[in-house]
Amino acid sequence: MEFRGILDRLRAIGAPGLLGHDEPRGADPADKKDKGRAGDPFVLVDPQRLPAFLEVCRDDERLAFDILIDLTAADPSKDDPNLWVLVHLLSLAYRQRLTVKCALSKAAATMPTSVTVHRGAQWHERECGEMFGITFAGHPDPRHILLPEDWLGFPLRKDYVFPDEYHGISCK
Amino acid sequence: MSQSTTLPTAAAGTGEREFMLDVRTQDMEVNMGPQHPATHGVMRILIRADGEICTGAQPHLGYLHRCAEKIGENVEWLQYLPYTDRYDYLAAMNNNLGYSMAVEKLMGIEIPRRALMIRTICAELNRIGSHLVAFGTYGLDLGAITPFLYMFREREWMMALFEKICGARLTYSYIRIGGVFNDAPPGWLSEVERFCDTFEEKWQEYVDLLMVNHIFVQRTANIGVIPKAMALDFGLTGPMLRGSGVDWDLRRDMPYELYAEIWKSGCFQIPLGKGERGTLGDCWDRAYVRVMEMIESIKIVRWCLDSIAPGPVIAEIPKTLRVPAGEAYVGIENPRGELGHYVVSDGGKVAVRCRVRGPSFTNLAVLEELLPGALIADSIAIIGSTDIVVGETDR
Repeated sequence: MEFRGILDRLRAIGAPGLLGHDEPRGADPADKKDKGRAGDPFVLVDPQRLPAFLEVCRDDERLAFDILIDLTAADPSKDDPNLWVLVHLLSLAYRQRLTVKCALSKAAATMPTSVTVHRGAQWHERECGEMFGITFAGHPDPRHILLPEDWLGFPLRKDYVFPDEYHGISCK
Repeated sequence: MSQSTTLPTAAAGTGEREFMLDVRTQDMEVNMGPQHPATHGVMRILIRADGEICTGAQPHLGYLHRCAEKIGENVEWLQYLPYTDRYDYLAAMNNNLGYSMAVEKLMGIEIPRRALMIRTICAELNRIGSHLVAFGTYGLDLGAITPFLYMFREREWMMALFEKICGARLTYSYIRIGGVFNDAPPGWLSEVERFCDTFEEKWQEYVDLLMVNHIFVQRTANIGVIPKAMALDFGLTGPMLRGSGVDWDLRRDMPYELYAEIWKSGCFQIPLGKGERGTLGDCWDRAYVRVMEMIESIKIVRWCLDSIAPGPVIAEIPKTLRVPAGEAYVGIENPRGELGHYVVSDGGKVAVRCRVRGPSFTNLAVLEELLPGALIADSIAIIGSTDIVVGETDR
């Protein structure tokens, strides 16, 4: 199924939390500043209902997104009030992918964990937690994974300031 | 007070074997690593053990964390390429390929056919080299030292081939955005053909030496069984998934570059675990998939050698790339599973986000589930069978 087919199916079954979608497009000739958008289409989902959405995607027989390939986040810009949380799903039966994007407020970066749906999300969420400062409510093991437990700040946020020193070791 | 106890074995661990313990011991925590030969890098696993049996395992990562994703947001698109070499350093060609394809997807550039051919040859040769290390060190972990030396002999030749084409032996940066760095030097392709001829002979030796070796089978069959449902739940990919009998390979099922054409020609197959020596999805099956994949890669290389024609090897791209705004995800079949690159551009010279989804990272997560219930001696066999490269788990 192409992206449109997946989207129609998601709408038909009333997938929880589905907010909208975005597709790549060419530049708008009327607007000189607009250069269009390249790359992949994605669906926008409410972060608070992401686990329910993933569950529907996994269990629906015509979607069958049974593998969570990746769960990550992105900080689009310093001025943006939101972070993106991204989930890349893969369906083995139908050989299709789906990118799910959630906009999560930087000020209150808390969302429910998806570990209940895909156990593979556990380490990805730990990484998102330490790198972006997202709290996954209900996560069974919310420790740091790549960084030391006492690391301050969230390195992949755009407003991150590099530390001068760490335990007496100069970082300059 | 001693007391005879029979521990029921966990489903994940040891099949139908049961262990008799004459002494009920205290739970003890043992550090395996960070400097342990069987962790294949710098990783620590905190094992809780009751006597010889693991009751819990907690992998601690991050010793090799080099902030690859942060660096990706601070250097130009082309400058990031050498960093891709350094996450899965046993399969650097494949990493170059994954990153280049993600950027190319945003840019929408067409790659010359000869470049695609050379890319495929390099990626498959690198897959063979990577599986040779995986398989050789796996034998080493289990006490078989000789096969390891044999495999490094062939890998040496593979690295010499790469040295001839790009000057580097481990971190190539050869597959570039738009194609490959330069054309193959004269005589290189015929040497690859000689390598294929020799390798096919030698490959049979490995199978005889290790795969069907009674001790090896005893150490790996029925150990660390990953059922299909568990493999899907943890998002395992690559030989870890195929070892559990799931018929999935991105090269066939979501083909990129030339693989659709190659698959159509019918020259290669996808080896799957069948539970031949024990239970489906055990350590032996995973090793079996890797060994069989080597010979399939040789077939792909041969197909390319037969069909390669002269032509340009890199598309024309500017020295300073400005990648169109947008976001793209590209997953390719690395030796260890799906290597994903998710790149976001705002139209500038530098990426907004450069995410690397390393297969080793997700494949390693399953240890927390596999180790409890297994013998400590078997934990080495289980860790070895996941074939992780710590450079990639930590990035």
